Amino acid sequence: MNRLLAALVLWFGFAEMHLASAASDYTLGVKPILEKRCYSCHGRLKQEGKLRLDAATLIHEGGKNGPVIAAGKSDASELLKRITTQVEDDRMPPEGKPLTPEQIAIIKLWIDGGAKFPSNESIPKLPSEHWAFQPVLRPAVPSIKNKKWVRNPIDQFVLSKLEARGWRPAKEAEPNALLRRVHLDLIGLPPTLAEQDGFANNAKGGQSATALDNVITNLLARPQYGERWARHWLDVVRYADSNGYERDAEKPFVWRYRDYVIRSFNADKPYDRFLLEQFAGDELPDSDGDTLIATGMNRLGNWDDEPADPELDRFDQLDDIISTTSQAILGLTLGCARCHDHKFEPLSTRDYYSMAAIFNTLKRPQNGRTELTLPAGRFEEISAVNQRDQKIGELRRQTNTLSSIEIEKKVQKLHEATPDLPQAYFLNEPSPEAPITHVLLRGSPARRSAEVSPAVPAILTRRQPQFPAAGPHTSQRRLGLARWLASAENPLTARVIVNRVWQQHFGAGLVRTPSDFGVMGEPPTHPELLDWLAHWFTHEGQWSLKSLHRLILSSNAWRMSRAPTADHAAADSENRLLWHTSYRRLDVEALRDSMLAVSGQLNQAMYGRGVFLRIPQAAIEANTDKDSIWQPSPEAEQSRRSIYAFVKRGLVVPMFEVLDLCDTVHSSAQRNITTVAPQALTLFNGDFVNEQARHFANRLLKEAGEKPRPQVIRAYRLALGRMPSSSELAEMTRFLSAEELQTKFLPGAPVASTALEQVCRVILNLNEFAYAD
Amino acid sequence: MPIEPDSRFIPNPTPCGRSRREFLWQVGGGFAGLAMIDLLTRTGAFPMEASAAPAGLNPLTPKPQHFPAKAKHVVFLFMNGGPSQVDTFDPKPELAKHHGQSYTGDAKIGSNGRAIGHLMQSPFEFKKHGKSGLEISSLFPHTAKFADDLCVIRSMHSDTAAHASGCLQMNTGNVLIGKPCLGSWLSYGLGALNENLPSFVVMTDPRGGPIGSASNWTAGYMPAAYQGTLFRSAGVPLLDLATPSGTSEHTQRRSLDLLKKLNAEHLASRPGESELAARIESYELAYRMQTTAAEVVDINRENTATREAYGLNEKLTADFGRKCLITRRLLEKGVRFVQLYSGGGHIEDTWDGHNDCIANHSLHAGETDKPIAALIADLKRTGLWDETLLVWGGEFGRTPTSEGVGKLGRDHDWHGFSMWLAGAGVKGGQAIGSTDEVGFKAAEDPCHVSDLHATILHLMGLDHTKLTYFHSGLDQRLTGVVERNVIRKALTGA
Repeated sequence: MNRLLAALVLWFGFAEMHLASAASDYTLGVKPILEKRCYSCHGRLKQEGKLRLDAATLIHEGGKNGPVIAAGKSDASELLKRITTQVEDDRMPPEGKPLTPEQIAIIKLWIDGGAKFPSNESIPKLPSEHWAFQPVLRPAVPSIKNKKWVRNPIDQFVLSKLEARGWRPAKEAEPNALLRRVHLDLIGLPPTLAEQDGFANNAKGGQSATALDNVITNLLARPQYGERWARHWLDVVRYADSNGYERDAEKPFVWRYRDYVIRSFNADKPYDRFLLEQFAGDELPDSDGDTLIATGMNRLGNWDDEPADPELDRFDQLDDIISTTSQAILGLTLGCARCHDHKFEPLSTRDYYSMAAIFNTLKRPQNGRTELTLPAGRFEEISAVNQRDQKIGELRRQTNTLSSIEIEKKVQKLHEATPDLPQAYFLNEPSPEAPITHVLLRGSPARRSAEVSPAVPAILTRRQPQFPAAGPHTSQRRLGLARWLASAENPLTARVIVNRVWQQHFGAGLVRTPSDFGVMGEPPTHPELLDWLAHWFTHEGQWSLKSLHRLILSSNAWRMSRAPTADHAAADSENRLLWHTSYRRLDVEALRDSMLAVSGQLNQAMYGRGVFLRIPQAAIEANTDKDSIWQPSPEAEQSRRSIYAFVKRGLVVPMFEVLDLCDTVHSSAQRNITTVAPQALTLFNGDFVNEQARHFANRLLKEAGEKPRPQVIRAYRLALGRMPSSSELAEMTRFLSAEELQTKFLPGAPVASTALEQVCRVILNLNEFAYAD
Repeated sequence: MPIEPDSRFIPNPTPCGRSRREFLWQVGGGFAGLAMIDLLTRTGAFPMEASAAPAGLNPLTPKPQHFPAKAKHVVFLFMNGGPSQVDTFDPKPELAKHHGQSYTGDAKIGSNGRAIGHLMQSPFEFKKHGKSGLEISSLFPHTAKFADDLCVIRSMHSDTAAHASGCLQMNTGNVLIGKPCLGSWLSYGLGALNENLPSFVVMTDPRGGPIGSASNWTAGYMPAAYQGTLFRSAGVPLLDLATPSGTSEHTQRRSLDLLKKLNAEHLASRPGESELAARIESYELAYRMQTTAAEVVDINRENTATREAYGLNEKLTADFGRKCLITRRLLEKGVRFVQLYSGGGHIEDTWDGHNDCIANHSLHAGETDKPIAALIADLKRTGLWDETLLVWGGEFGRTPTSEGVGKLGRDHDWHGFSMWLAGAGVKGGQAIGSTDEVGFKAAEDPCHVSDLHATILHLMGLDHTKLTYFHSGLDQRLTGVVERNVIRKALTGA
């Protein structure tokens, strides 16, 4: 015993005896060892020998062969025997190195000391009991005291948690702040002066709540809504316009997918239908050009046109689809089960490869390194074009009987009778015959194990969905998956999307790991509210995202102000109880688009191929093909909304990159919000903001005249949606007059930026501009 | 360790280790949880993890190492395109004997679709240098003076024959795009020493960037604050650093003051908002960066001897020399990781000597040898040598065979190639490992690219198995899930 203690002291490297005793403590010393080396087979995921070691009461209980420890008697404990035996076949853990002498000493000390443990240790739930894997049931709406505050059931769920603590929700935000917030939230643009005036009129006489409801309805009907919300979806499905890697080639016509997403949001396409189209748009009975374009989602990943190992590359591509699908739609990290059963989630390699069997049917149309596109249309339309081309081929061979002029005339007629279809970028399934898929041991294509058929992760369903038999053109495996994904019975789909919408409105989801609803994800802050919303969404809401927006935005919970009170902040700094509104910096798209709107330059043209925004030469020089890599689009295109900016994986527009654009390669659940100096450099010194400041100043001159006071008032209203305070007004006018003098009388100054331009530059850089109240 | 095509999928004995963050989720966070984690970290029961900064907080705040570091800075001299080992640091007398014969070993020769020639001896003479007698070819007469400081690893190997995936692997540890770079991991794990400059700086070649461009300095799934920043060695060194034309310095400051004042008023009515306060500070930091970065590239104050030593007066060496000199100045200001690219664009504009490896390597070695030697000497003079790790090498090596019979080019060889380390914590004057008799394939003590990464992290005071970042349900590591090892032989005291 003394020798062991001495060894422990040595191990710590300093003579702090209390640490040695701490180490033999169950929670501090023993549990971390068991967790690291034993839980994966003797925990909640697996119970080899019916033994669980992930809670002390369970250790005391033992397994199917009886107890594994004898408290106070380590020599008589099976556990200790098994970790110390020299017989390799009997030794635990069976994989990896044996436990170290120090680790063994800790466990031994603990057993000899009576194997004590804290009485409040909870027993981890079995994964099958995990909340997110249970069917979505409709929880009762809780009753609350302050009925006046409630506008809809959301408020009851939020308020009941607050009242349980004796807390009150923050008061409603100022009407003009709410107007700006709702505009930025729904369309990513600030309210115009006319919109501000109209709202103020309608809000008179205590009618601001209903006036705001009307604004919401109005904004949801605008095309700019789709441009704002499609971008959130593009983050989740790893949208980019190029493939990455050496050539980083443009994905031809991939923008049709982006446009499809915008149109779908604007049309309020039910979310279940939206999923059906993206996963199985070619297998639907009413398949058409749009639904084929929708399936482009599976082709958005990066692609190496010169892979080092083509067979492995095939599985890398499948992995991209499986990881994206599971994270984006199901909130599961199934990608972790590619090489081994998931260490923390109830997901096995069999689950992974059963999913691979669904997508393994897809082929990438390509000609060597060149990607090919396919016509998008109804099946009959595509066959008509194919038949036409066949006829044209035959015609062109008839050079003996027809003159070339006659042939071309006929060809032209055929083209007129059956025009070309638009080309689109998606993977296709060339045959109803599905290739055989195996479990790959340790993810290696060379090590095939059991054959698998299409299936969804076992933990999520008691009964596997019925996969339809192969159809005339495809295996219909994706159709089977899509129907299961897009079903109200699926425990995850609705919860995940409802949470994503909530996250965009509140800055954080009810589940704060929006793409991880597994046992390792964070539990919901308001589990009943999440389930109520998910159930409502698939029933009354009929999968309509616009209805969901309307419900959330009409709640008083969403209309609260930012009002940090010290005691609440101390108890709940992350605002998990939703006692006020959290600050959220605008993402780069909304920030840039707002600047364009305020400067009067915004070009509202929709759709089409990505726009190559101007990039500083310094950023281009560092590229392999610096002379050809980036040709900026024409001037008029430069001021289009950010969702139309071309996203090149190897060369992200610096302003977007520095302002925390999402990862362009993987599915992204949430934008980072970092605050670093290069952002200030970009926003204060960069060409874009300075140009917009110039346009903004010209606009003010035109609309407000030469006098500082009306200029500043208009500037504040346009940019911040409010009047300047008297001190702001004084500050600004003082700057304007002083700076005018400087620019006029400083000799040798270059073509000077005017004082008004400087004021505009400052306004576009204000914290208030980037953080809506 | 055999080189297996699927080696990146063999999990090590303790993959997917649990992180502090996951633990916090489980215990519900709070002060008690944090205090416990502190204890567990100190007892070693729990890997210390640099945790992702909460929103709005500074992601570059300095963080403690896992153990005392040998080095504070890394300079990665990236010989883009792939220098030939048998012409640089791996002398092969047997190759001369077999000159003109076919290669009979089992390594796959070169990249897809290129012509395969015969074994080709090196035209460059190898000589022993320094007390150690380390053998270096005649391509590097200047660097050879520091032979006793160099630790050559002759048994490097990687997983790919292509430049794009090769550069990615050397920079991110992974052949697939979208992973954070070595410099990002260091910024994430250690924070910045001086926030008036970026922590991870990249300087590319005037002929262009490496293949894959920004993928080679991306922060991948980490916040953008950890990505590499392009630094120009002349003119305006950083993007958007200069005050816009038409705005005088006086107006710039006045406008910044106005912004500061208005933001301060805004903050005053919203007390305790750390994100807003941080954003106000970021503008002042940017302003200071303007001064600091401009000072770094202002080399007028360097004396004639220094400029001469770096080769600034000769056309051949002027560009790389300037970068090496700027590197010293960046290190003096506390920049953590500097990566210099020699070669950019394609084929002969880089070390990618497919057509004429002799002319190619004479050019690229000629451009870099003198500046690198000057940098070593200068670091020794300034004392930075004791805290700086130098890494030299490309994404792979080149075949001992010619590319096509009777030709002078060499194709890609990822089975075995040479790199060198020098400086803080490195045992110089030695060559580690070997290739087979003709120099094709790593033989003794093979070192995978990820072993090199583990070694660099180790010298910076970080344990590569404990430096993790939680993403996509996994604790990700620079060195991946395969078991990798610090190259112990390269370390002092080993």
